[in-house]
Amino acid sequence: MSESILETKSLSKAFGGLVALDKVDLAIEAGKITAIIGPNGAGKTTLFNVITGVYPASDGEILFQGTPLKDTAPHRRAALGIARTFQNVLLFGNMTVLENIMTGQHPRSRYGFLGAALRLPRAHREEETISLNAMKYLNMVGLGTHAQQNALSLPLGQQKLLAIARTLATEPRLLLLDEPGAGLNKLEKQELSDLIRRIRETGISVILVEHDMPLVMGLAEWVIVLDSGQKIAEGTAAQIQKDQRVITAYLGEEVE
Amino acid sequence: MLARVKRKWTYLVIAALLAFLILIPFDWSLGQYTVLMIFIGIHTMVTVGMCLLLGYTGQVSLGQAAFYGMGAYFSAVLSKTYSVNPWLAMLIAAIATGAFAYIIGYPIFRLRGNYLAMATLGLGMIIYILFNQLAQFTGGPEGMSGIPYLSIGGFVFDSSFKRYFLVWFFCLAVLLISQNIVRSRTGRALRAIHGSEAAAESIGINVAQFKVKIFVLSAVYASLAGSLFVHHLTFISPQPFGFLASLMIVVMAVIGGLASIWGAIFGAATIHILSDELLLRFGEWDVIIYGLILMLVMIFMPEGLFVRLRDIFGRWRLRYAQRGAEP
Repeated sequence: MSESILETKSLSKAFGGLVALDKVDLAIEAGKITAIIGPNGAGKTTLFNVITGVYPASDGEILFQGTPLKDTAPHRRAALGIARTFQNVLLFGNMTVLENIMTGQHPRSRYGFLGAALRLPRAHREEETISLNAMKYLNMVGLGTHAQQNALSLPLGQQKLLAIARTLATEPRLLLLDEPGAGLNKLEKQELSDLIRRIRETGISVILVEHDMPLVMGLAEWVIVLDSGQKIAEGTAAQIQKDQRVITAYLGEEVE
Repeated sequence: MLARVKRKWTYLVIAALLAFLILIPFDWSLGQYTVLMIFIGIHTMVTVGMCLLLGYTGQVSLGQAAFYGMGAYFSAVLSKTYSVNPWLAMLIAAIATGAFAYIIGYPIFRLRGNYLAMATLGLGMIIYILFNQLAQFTGGPEGMSGIPYLSIGGFVFDSSFKRYFLVWFFCLAVLLISQNIVRSRTGRALRAIHGSEAAAESIGINVAQFKVKIFVLSAVYASLAGSLFVHHLTFISPQPFGFLASLMIVVMAVIGGLASIWGAIFGAATIHILSDELLLRFGEWDVIIYGLILMLVMIFMPEGLFVRLRDIFGRWRLRYAQRGAEP
C-alpha cells in the first residue's frame, strides 16, 4: 500500500446532540486526487473544518504525514502544509488580485514588525521572493492580466481560481477544495479540472468536496462517500457509481 | 510611464509638505499657529495608531485615550514626583503602556464588533476614573503642574518653537514606520484579518496574535504622544483623556480615511482647526457638530474625506500626465 498524506482514525464531531461526523476512518493517498461526496448535511464541510482545525474534534485522531494534529491551531496547520478553499470563496476584498496571492505566502516568509518598520535588508529580500512567487501562481491560474484589479471585481469563476492561487501560495502538501465547481459554467469547470490536474502534477495531494458528479468522476482517482456523518463507501469512480448503498443514499430506496 | 509619473508626484508632494512643515513656526510665516500645530502633531500620532487598528485591521477601540493618558501620567509622575530623567520616563511609559495593552489584549480580542467596542469603551472609562481617584499620585481632578521640559544635554525644549520640531520629528517617524508596516508582509496580514478572519487563519496568519500586536503598537504610539503632550504643557489633569478624547481619535481617523496613513495628519488638522478656530463660539454644543461630521462622512464618503480628495487629485493628475504625453 502506498503512503498516506492524511489519515483519520475514528474521527468524530458532535455539535451538542447532533453528530456531524461519526467514527470516520480515512486514509488519503499522497499525490492523488480524492473526492468526498455525499448528500447535503453528510458532514463533508465539517470534515474539512475539523481537518483544518477550525473545530476541535470531539473524538478520534488526525494524522498528517504520520504526525498527529492534536490541538494544533489552524494557522499552524496551514504552515505544516494543509491549505483549503471555502464554499463562499472568502477573498480579501480590500486587496488587489496580486496582493491576495502575496498574502498567501505568509507562512513561507518570516520577517515581522521590526523588519517591516525599519525596512531591513532581509525584509526587502523576502518581499522580492514573495512578489516573484505570487506572479508564478497568478500565471498558473491564468489571471496574469488582472494582477492590479480589486479581487472582488473578478467574475465568480475567476474569483474561485484566485482563491486556489492564494492557497497554492502557502505551498501546501495537501489541498482541500470545498465545492470548487459550484456556480461555474461548463467552460469554467473545464478550466478548473485542468488546473486541479496540473496542481496534482506538482506533487500536491488534492481532496475535493463536490456535488457536480461529471466533474468528480472525471477527476477523482479515489472517491469516498459520506452519509449522515458516516463513511458508507469508497472506491474508484466506476466502483462507486455501481455501489448500491451510494445509490440508496442519494436517491432513496428503489420502489420498483 | 505612469508609475514613474506617480513616483515623481509623490516625491514632489512629500518635499512640499516637509518644506511647509519646516517653515510654519517662524514668525514671518505662520508663527501664530505653532501651538496649534504641536497639538495636531501629537494627535496625528494617536490617530495613526487608530488607523492601523481600525482602518487596516478592522478592530475598533473606543478607549484609545486611556493609552494616551497613561503615557502622559507615567511621564508626568515619574519625571516630576520621582525626578526620573524625562526621556527615561517617556521610555518607561511607552513600555508600561505597551505591556498593559498586551496583557489586556488577549482577553479583549476574543470579542468582536459591538462587544469589542463596549469592552474598550469600559476600559477607557476605568482608566479615566483611576486618573481621577489615584489622587496621591496623579493629583486627582485638579491635576498637577511643574512637570519639567524635555532636554538634550544643555538644550532645553522650553519654547513652543523648539517643541514644534521635537513633536513633528516624532510624528513623522511614527508616520514613516507605520507606512513601512502597511506596505509589508505584516500590513498584508492585518488587511487580511480585516477582509476575512477565517481565510486569514486558513493561510497561516495568527489572527489573535496580530490583533494584539497592532493593539500594542497603537497603545505605544498613544503613550509617546501623551508623554510629548505633558512635557509640552508641563501641566496635567484627567480632562483631556476622557471618553470625548477617545471619540475624537476615532473621528480624526475617519476623516483622514481609515485606510490611509498620511490622512491622519489631515484628520487631526481638520478637527483641531475646526475646534480651536471655528467651533469655540458654540461652546458645549461642539459635540453635536463632531457627531454630525462623523455621521456625514460615514454616509457619504466611508473611505474618508482625505482619501476622497486624494482620489480626485489622482484622477486629475493622471489626465494631466496623459495630456502631456500626447504629441
